[in-house]
Amino acid sequence: MKRFKITTLFVLFTCSMLLWSTGCDILNVDDRPDPNNTELSAVLANPNQANLNTLVGGLTSGLRTDISLWYINHGMIGREMYRFLSAEPRNTGDLLGKANAQLDPGSFYTTRPWSTYYANIRMSNILIQAATSSQTLSSEDANGVLGVAKTLKAYQYLLALNLTNENGIRQQVSDDINAVGDPLSKEQGFDLIAGLLDEAVADLNNAGNTFFFTLPSGFTGFDTPAGFLQFNRALRARVAAYMEDWPTALTALEGSFLDETGSLGTGVYHDFTTNPNDQVNPVFADPDAGSGDSWVAHPSFVTDAEAGDTRIDEKVQLRSSTASLDGLTSDYGLAVYDSQTAPIPIIRNAELLLLRAEALAQRNGAGDLDDAEADINVVRNAAGLGNFNSGGDQAAIIDEMLNQRRYELYFEGHRWVDMRRYNRLDQLPLDRDGDNVWVSFPISEAENL
Amino acid sequence: MKSRYKLFFMLGICLLLTQMTYAQFTATGTIFDASTGDLLVGANVFHPETSQGTTTDANGKFSIELPGQSATVRISYIGYVPRNVTINASSATNLRIELTSDVANLEEVVVTGLASTVKRSNLANSVSSVSADQLLGGSPTQTISSNLYGKVTGAEISANSGAPGGGISIRLRGVTSINGSSQPLYIVDGVYYNNDAIETGSNAVTAAAAAGSTTKQENPVNRIADLNPEDIESIEILKGASAAAIYGQRASGGVVIIQTKRGTPGTPQFSLSQRVGVTTISNKIGTRDFDADEAEAAFGPNGRTLYEEAAAANRFIDYEEQLYGQEGLLAKTSLSTSFGNENTSLFISGSLQDDEGIVENTGYERQSIRANLDHQFSPKLNVALSSNYVHSDASRGLFNNDNTGNTFGVAMTATPNFIDLRPDASGNYPDHPFNSSNQLQTRDLFSDSEKVDRVTTSVQANYNILQNPSNFLRLRFVGGIDFYSQNNKLIFPSELQFERISGSPGTLIETATDNLNTNTSTILIHTFIPSNNVTLTSQAGYTSFNNDQNSILSIANNVLGTQTNLDQAIELNVDQTRVFQRDRGFFLQEEVNLRDTYIITAGIRADKSDRNGDVDKFYFYPKASVAWNMSNENFWGIDEISNLKLRAAFGQTGNLSTFGAKFTSLQPSNIAGLGGVLLTSTRGVEDLKPERQTEIEAGFDASLRSGFASLEVTAYHKEIQDMLLQRELEPSTGFDFESFNAGSMWNRGVEVGLNLKPLNTRRFQWTSSINFWKNWSKVTDLPVPAFDVSGGGFGTSLGIYRIEEGESATQIVGSDPQLDDNGSLALDPNGNPIIITKKLGDGEADFQMSLSNNLRLFRNLNLNFILHWKQGGDNINLTQLLYDLNGTTADYDDTDLDIADFRLQAAGLTGDETNAQKRLSLLGISANHFVQDASYLRMREIGLYYDVPLDFLADFGVGMRKVRVGASATNLFTITPYDSYDPEVSNFGNQPIGRGVDVSPFPASKQFYLHLNIDF
Repeated sequence: MKRFKITTLFVLFTCSMLLWSTGCDILNVDDRPDPNNTELSAVLANPNQANLNTLVGGLTSGLRTDISLWYINHGMIGREMYRFLSAEPRNTGDLLGKANAQLDPGSFYTTRPWSTYYANIRMSNILIQAATSSQTLSSEDANGVLGVAKTLKAYQYLLALNLTNENGIRQQVSDDINAVGDPLSKEQGFDLIAGLLDEAVADLNNAGNTFFFTLPSGFTGFDTPAGFLQFNRALRARVAAYMEDWPTALTALEGSFLDETGSLGTGVYHDFTTNPNDQVNPVFADPDAGSGDSWVAHPSFVTDAEAGDTRIDEKVQLRSSTASLDGLTSDYGLAVYDSQTAPIPIIRNAELLLLRAEALAQRNGAGDLDDAEADINVVRNAAGLGNFNSGGDQAAIIDEMLNQRRYELYFEGHRWVDMRRYNRLDQLPLDRDGDNVWVSFPISEAENL
Repeated sequence: MKSRYKLFFMLGICLLLTQMTYAQFTATGTIFDASTGDLLVGANVFHPETSQGTTTDANGKFSIELPGQSATVRISYIGYVPRNVTINASSATNLRIELTSDVANLEEVVVTGLASTVKRSNLANSVSSVSADQLLGGSPTQTISSNLYGKVTGAEISANSGAPGGGISIRLRGVTSINGSSQPLYIVDGVYYNNDAIETGSNAVTAAAAAGSTTKQENPVNRIADLNPEDIESIEILKGASAAAIYGQRASGGVVIIQTKRGTPGTPQFSLSQRVGVTTISNKIGTRDFDADEAEAAFGPNGRTLYEEAAAANRFIDYEEQLYGQEGLLAKTSLSTSFGNENTSLFISGSLQDDEGIVENTGYERQSIRANLDHQFSPKLNVALSSNYVHSDASRGLFNNDNTGNTFGVAMTATPNFIDLRPDASGNYPDHPFNSSNQLQTRDLFSDSEKVDRVTTSVQANYNILQNPSNFLRLRFVGGIDFYSQNNKLIFPSELQFERISGSPGTLIETATDNLNTNTSTILIHTFIPSNNVTLTSQAGYTSFNNDQNSILSIANNVLGTQTNLDQAIELNVDQTRVFQRDRGFFLQEEVNLRDTYIITAGIRADKSDRNGDVDKFYFYPKASVAWNMSNENFWGIDEISNLKLRAAFGQTGNLSTFGAKFTSLQPSNIAGLGGVLLTSTRGVEDLKPERQTEIEAGFDASLRSGFASLEVTAYHKEIQDMLLQRELEPSTGFDFESFNAGSMWNRGVEVGLNLKPLNTRRFQWTSSINFWKNWSKVTDLPVPAFDVSGGGFGTSLGIYRIEEGESATQIVGSDPQLDDNGSLALDPNGNPIIITKKLGDGEADFQMSLSNNLRLFRNLNLNFILHWKQGGDNINLTQLLYDLNGTTADYDDTDLDIADFRLQAAGLTGDETNAQKRLSLLGISANHFVQDASYLRMREIGLYYDVPLDFLADFGVGMRKVRVGASATNLFTITPYDSYDPEVSNFGNQPIGRGVDVSPFPASKQFYLHLNIDF
C-alpha cells in the first residue's frame, strides 16, 4: 500500500511538473507569428486603407535610411566637404581616391545606399501590388497609391543610378520577392525612370482630389494628387536634364511647382524629428565639433565664392580651430542644416529655376538665353548678389548656371553629378598628390554582376 | 487512512529497532596512498547493503558500524582506483587500507546522457572531464569558461576582450555552424543554462553598426559567466555529435555538463576560502614619439602649438598609464558547508566577489548563494534539489569599434602624448583637441552597469520501480528553471564633450531583459542482467524545452539636468524584442555491455521545434558507438599495459535557425509623427530546417600498469549538411539577407592527451598532462556564390572572413594586387595594378598545445601551472590601423616593416618609407598587413600552495581539517608576434566564425592572487 502511494505520488508529481513546464502542451508546438513585427503576408492578405496607409508611412520614412551616405559620397567626391571621422579611414581614403585606393564594391559607401534604394523600391512594389489586388479600394484610391508609389520608386532608381552612373543599375522584379532582375545600362536606367514618372501622371490624374492616405509634413502642399503631380514633374525635369532632353525638361517644368516669384525653398522635404523611433537629421553636426568626427566644408567653397554671397555665412561657419585628418584641413564647419530636426530637400524651387535656366540655355532658341539669365538672377539676387550679365554668351550662362547650382544647392547632392554631366570632373580640386575623382560607383558586390 | 499511516509508522519504528538489535561491530582504520603513503583525507567508506557510509577525517582515519561478523565495504576516493575490502569483526580495528592512484581516471564516472553515466574505461567517446581541483587548482579567473583554457582538448576558448566579467567564446572541434550558434549547450544540474549574450545598447552612442558593418559591437557578456566556479564539482564536455547526439537539435556546438557540489553525510564541514589579488594590464602597445614637424604633419598647426607647449614644460603623458594603469584590487570570499545523515544531505555555499578592472570605474561584482539538497524519501525514491541565486554587477567601460570617436579605445588612438586631457584643479576636463571625446572625462563621468539577478533551480528525482538481481527499472525525472533579469544602464551626462555638442545633450540607455528557460525530461531506464557477462541498459525518454525572452531597449536623449531616469528626458526611443522557443523531443537508447569488454550503444533522438519552418515535423538524430577493452580479453598478454581500449562512435545532432529567420516582416517606422511599417533587410524562408551534423570519431586509450603514463588519442570527422547559412542576397531584390539550408562543410581533427606521472615518491610527486589538438575545416559544397560573413570584418579592403567552396570555413580574404603568371605584379592596360580579393589568412589555429604540471614537494607544497600554446590562426588587426590613421602608432617612424615587393610596387613605394607610410599607402591596395599571426604561448595559470601541517596547528589548539595558503598568477606572461593588445580578441563578440577582429578593445590583463583556504 505504501509502495503504491509513493509511486502514485511520484507519477502525479512528475506529470504535474511536466504539464506545468510545458504549458499543458506536451507534444504540440504552436506555429506563432513574428512577435516583434508585422508580417508581410498579413499586410498582403488584407490590403485595406489602413494597411496601405502604414505602408506609405513606412516608404516615406524609408527614403531617409542611410541618407547620410548619399550626402557624404556626393559631398566628398564632388569636393564640397569632408567628413573627418577618425574611426573610418575610407571616407578620406577611398572616396577621395587617395593614392591607389579604389572604390570598393563591398564597402559600406557602395552597399548601403544601394540596399536602401532597392528596399524602398520593394516597398513601392509592395504598395503597387497591394493597391492592385485590393478588393476594398476604390479605383481613385488605388490610382492615388500607384501614382505615389511609382514616383517614389522612380526617385529611388534615380538615386541609385546617380551613384553607379556608367555601371548602370538593376531592375527589380516587381511581383516576386525571390526573383533577381535584369541589369540595365545607364541609358536603359534613365528610360526606366522616365517611364515610371510618366506612368504615374495618368495614375495621379485619375486619383480624385485627395489621397486617402497621409503623407508626412515634408510633402505639405504636395499631398493631393494634383500637388503630388507637381512634385512628379519636378523630378521628371531633373531626369530630362540628366538625359539632356531639353524640350522634355521644359515641358515637365511647366507642370512642376516652379515659381520664379516664390521662395527658393519651396519643395518636398525629408522630415526629421526627435519623436520616439523617428530619425534625426544625420548630416547635421556641430560645425565646430572637435576632431574625431568633424563635418567640414571644402576650403574651395569659401575661397571660390563671389564677394557678398550671403550663402557662405548660411552654409558654412568659421571654426574656432582648424580641423584636419589624413593630410586634409579645413577652417570651416558645415552649417547647411542648422539643427537635428532640419528638413533635407528632395527637390526645391531653386533647383527648378536653375533647371529651367539650363534647359533654356541648352535649347538656345530665340530669347532663351535671356530667359535663362533671368532665372539665374532670381537665384543670385536671393543670395545678395547683383545681376549676372552674360552678354549673350551661351557658354558663360552654362558656367554661371553650374556656379549657382554649386552655391545654391551646396551639400544637397548635386555638385559631383553636375560636373560629371558637363565632363568637368577634372576641374574639381585635388587636395593631395595622387587623389582621384571618381566617375561612377561600382555595383554593390552582393549583386554578383 | 490516518490509522493506516500510524500503523506504517509503528511498523517502521519496529523495523528500525530490529535492525538495531542485529549483531554489529565497529571497524576503524586509516586510508593511504599506495605509492606515497600519504593519508587520504575525505576518502569514502561505504557499506552498500546497509547504505551506511563515512569519510576519513583529517588524519585519514575512519570508523564505521558494520553488521554481522563480516562485511565488504567499498573504499573510494577521487583520483584513485576504488577497492572492495572485506572486514572481519575479529580484526576490524586499526586497518591499513591503501588505494592506488588512477592516472587515466579509468574509474571516473562520466555523465554522457540525459540519464546515463558510464565508467570512463567503458566510454566509446573522448569526453573531457575537468574536476574542481583541475578547474581551480592553478589560478582563478572570473568565469568558469576562462578557467578551462588548456584543460580541454579540441576546445578553442577565446576571450572577446579583457573587460571584467566575462565574454568568452568556446568553440568545440572547430566551426560547427556558419550562422547558427557555435557555442556549446550548457547543462547545470539538469538545467538548460542560458548562455545568451545580450547587447548593452551602447550602439546608440558609438554608432559602431552604422557604417562598415551592421553587426553590433557592444562587447556583451555571455551569461555562463553567472556560474560561480567555486560551486562546481565536475565538468564533462561532449565535443561533437557522436557524443552529444542524445541531446538532439541543440547540441551541435557540443554539450558542457556541469555538476555542482553536493552534501556528504556526516557532521557539518566548512570550507572558507579567501583570495585577494591585483590586476594589471598585460601588454602596453606604446605610442609615437613626436617632434614638432611630425606633430604638425599629423595634427595640423594646432598639433605643433600643443607639441611645443608640452615640450617647453617637458610634459609628455603616458595615456596608456592614465587609462589602463589602474592596479585593480581583486577580492573573493567563499564559504561553504556540507553535512547530512544517511537520508538527507545538504550543501550550502555563498560567495562574495568584488574585482576592479585595469580601467578606473570598471569592475565586476558577484554574489552567489547555492543550496543543494539531497533526500532519500525511501529506498526507492531519491530527490536532488539544486538552487542558486546570483547577483552580478559589471562595469565594462566603452570599447570596441565606433563611428563617433566616443569609445575609450578609439579615443586613445587619436591621443598623442603631448596633449593634456587631465582635469584642472576644479575638475573641469579640457576638450580633446583631436577627437570628439576626452576619454578621461568619459571614464570619470559616464556610468555603465550590467546588473543580473538570476535564479536557477532544478529537481532531479529517481524512482526505482523494480529492483531484483537481474532487472532494474528506474524512472527519472529532471525539471529545471532558469530565470534571469538583466539590466544594462549607460548614462552619458550632458557635460561630456560629445554630448555637449550633440543636438540633444545627455543620453540614457537602458536595456531590461527577462529570460526564462524551463526544461523537463522524463526517462525510463531499464537495466537487464541476464547473466554475469551481459548487461543491457535501455532508455526511453521525453524532453521539453521552453525559452521566452523579452528585451526592452530604451534610449533617452536630451536629458534634464543630471537626472538618470528615462522619463527625465525630452526624447525617448523604445525598442522591444521578444524571442521564444518551444522544443519537444523523444529518445531511445540501448547499451549492451559484454564483460566490460565490448560496450555497444545505439540510440535515436527525435526533435521538433517552432524554430523550424514546419513546426510539426520531427527530425531524427541517430547514434551508435562501440568500445572494445582489448585488455579485458583473455588473450591479453601484455602485462605492462593494463588498459587498452579501441573505440569508435557515430552520431548526429542538429542546430536550429536563429529566431525570426523564417519571417518576412515589416518593422515600425515614424516620420514626423506619421507611423508606418518598413521592410526589414531579412527575407524570411518558410521551409527552414535544422542543420545536421554527422560526426564519426575513433581512437584508443591506453595506460601503463605502473601508473606512469596513459594516452588518449582521438580522430574525428564531422560533416555539417543543410547548413543554415545567412546569405547576402542581391540587394536589388529589396532584401540584404536570408537564411537558408544549403551546402556542407567538414571539420577534421586529432586530439591527443598524454598523462604522465614521472615521479611518484613519498616526498616528491609530479603529474603532467600534455594535450595537443588540431582542427581543419573545409567548405565542400556551397550552392551560392562565396559570401562575406556578416560580423566578420569591415569589407574586403580591410580584410574579412569569407565562406567559399573548397576553402577553409575560417579563411580571411582581402584586397591584394594580382600577380601574373611569373609571380610579379600584374598591370592593366593603363599600367595600373589590378586589385583583386584573395585569401590572406585563416582564423583557425594550426594547432594548440597545453602542458599542465602539478608538482608536490615534501607532501605540503604544491606547484601547478598550465602553459598554453596556440600556433597560427590570424587576426584582423584594425587597432593598428586606427593608430596609424591618427599618426600615433608606436612604430610610426620605424622602418623595419617588411612588405612584399609586389605590394610595394603596387603602392608606388620604394621600401624605404616608414612603417606607417607603408601601411597607409597600402590602404585600398592590400589588406595583407591587417591579417596578422595571432600565435601565442601563454602561462595561463601558475599557483604555489602550501598545506600547513595540521599537527602544527593542533599545537596551537586549532582543530582544522586542512589549511592551505598560496600565491598564484593568471596570464602571467604571453609571448606573441601579434602587434596589438592581445591575440585573444573579438570585436563582434561570440561569432561562430568572425572572431579575431581587433578594433581598439578593452586591453587584456593579468592577475596576481594570494590565497587562504581553511577546511574545518
